[in-house]
Amino acid sequence: MAKIIKYDLFFPNPPEVVWEYLTDADLIALWLMKNNFKPILGYEFQVTTKPMPDIQFDGIFYCKVLAIEPLKSLSYSWHFGPGDGTLNTSVVDWTLTPLNNGTQLELIHRGFEGASFIDLFTGMSTGWPKQIQKLLLTINPETDGTAKA
Amino acid sequence: MEQQRLDAFQVIADPSRRQILFLLSKDSRTINSLAENFEMSRPAVSKHIKVLNNAGFISIEDIGRERHCVLKQDGFNQLHEWLAYYDNFWGSKLQKLGDLLKDRIEKK
Repeated sequence: MAKIIKYDLFFPNPPEVVWEYLTDADLIALWLMKNNFKPILGYEFQVTTKPMPDIQFDGIFYCKVLAIEPLKSLSYSWHFGPGDGTLNTSVVDWTLTPLNNGTQLELIHRGFEGASFIDLFTGMSTGWPKQIQKLLLTINPETDGTAKA
Repeated sequence: MEQQRLDAFQVIADPSRRQILFLLSKDSRTINSLAENFEMSRPAVSKHIKVLNNAGFISIEDIGRERHCVLKQDGFNQLHEWLAYYDNFWGSKLQKLGDLLKDRIEKK
């Protein structure tokens, strides 16, 4: 699935410090949200915020550490839903690179199930069925092949 | 099994449902004419159509004896809202992280 959200930032701190802020639950809470993260492969944790019924969100991100390489990269699943047991899936990847006495930090939030075509929907008030056609083809090139029509 | 309500991401995660949306993006169709495009049984197609209808991706209009499916924008809007939410979300969180890291250097 395509990358959906990507940020590239530079911080004038060494990777050791940036890493702390990504992996220490108390430090994470300072900038992200309340959480019970532990830097252990396979560890399941939750990140909590206020529920947002408008977008069918119960306020809890259900996460699991998928990959961790100290001071270099961290990846966790980031699942969310309306609170009825059903969950949307996505993945958050952090990559740290030492650079000029600081750290380049890359964030990728990806793998929204089926959502790789969202940006094509912006401004779709006119002619949007055409855009949907285009993007459904993009995510699923076999669409026509599987049709008998 | 009781038809559970799925959200927008789960709805379009299914290839058959994406294909139904694709077919409807060309023109509105009856349930029967949609079913002709699939190997699966008509009840199975109906079930997918029900899911799409519940999630606001399509509407079903009764015209005479036929049930016509038409694309509807609501379901797509929900997907869009989520992505807009996350872009804004990470933007502000990372700003905060940057401020904290900057403070840390100045305190030295």
